[in-house]
Amino acid sequence: MATQTAPDPRADLDPALRAGLGPIVYPREQIEARVAEMAAAISRDYAGKQLVLIGVLKGIVLFMADLLRELVVPAAVDFIAISRFGPPQESRGAVRLLKDLDLPLAGRHALLVENIVDTGFTMSYLMRALHARHPASLAVCVLLNRPRRRLIDVELDYVGFEAPEDFLVGYGLGHHERYRQLPFIARFEPEDITAA
Amino acid sequence: MRPQANPNRPKGFQHPIEAEFARLLDFYRIPWEYEPTTFPLALDETGSVSEAFTPDFYLPLQDVYVELTTMRQALITEKNRKLRRLRELYPGIRVKLLNRRDMRSLLIKYGMEHEEARLIGNPNGSRSQG
Repeated sequence: MATQTAPDPRADLDPALRAGLGPIVYPREQIEARVAEMAAAISRDYAGKQLVLIGVLKGIVLFMADLLRELVVPAAVDFIAISRFGPPQESRGAVRLLKDLDLPLAGRHALLVENIVDTGFTMSYLMRALHARHPASLAVCVLLNRPRRRLIDVELDYVGFEAPEDFLVGYGLGHHERYRQLPFIARFEPEDITAA
Repeated sequence: MRPQANPNRPKGFQHPIEAEFARLLDFYRIPWEYEPTTFPLALDETGSVSEAFTPDFYLPLQDVYVELTTMRQALITEKNRKLRRLRELYPGIRVKLLNRRDMRSLLIKYGMEHEEARLIGNPNGSRSQG
């Protein structure tokens, strides 16, 4: 009996979105299942507490929405945005907040939600900024963790997957603002860069 | 053997990727020092240091050394051997190696892949004596 192969979700994509997209690393179903497990753990841990989810724009939108849908405890939501490092002509000075929180954190239990942590540079900056708001507690929830590249130690409380070394796109992760809307996470394979 | 202040501490960066990495650390306000420490790995019969390793960066707040290499994975055997030896001799010292693949990923992440040739250049050569 022939085995049925699931259709490739990349097949229907516009060629402009398909370009540079490598194999799928985390299919939609796997992400959904893992996000549900993480939400269940968070719901258990924050029962009876004043929880505020803080998402880091812009990549967090899909993960945040899915996580929020699965939570069964009350949760407020807020977003923060910071400047990103880039070429010298685009990125001068030091990291700074581009969008601050709207909600006060004092006395609330803050949960920072981020897509991916590798070096820990961004996360450590955000943790310092949020600690200064005196939350009752501050924890971290990340979908993807890449500990081999960690240079700054950060404590992660909820982790979705240990990410491979490849550059990943999809499910909020973008490259020059492309690929964020994909419901899966795939390897990015730029054609103009020779393989390392 | 003990770590020692690098007697040949350079005044400037030896490779463009090091300057870029320093810019990245500055961006995130992470204090750093460039090649501050040399770790002797072997002594000759006269007791002089015959082999040593000098990591590129030291991050004092994190107490971690960082070594950057732009060589292809297949060519970093010698550097890996030195790192293993360093970890054996100085078990309390934390050294992180960022390889060519790591740096390439960081360049893509920061939208700087067009700078790859300038920053991580020829993968068959060495950019650091280690």
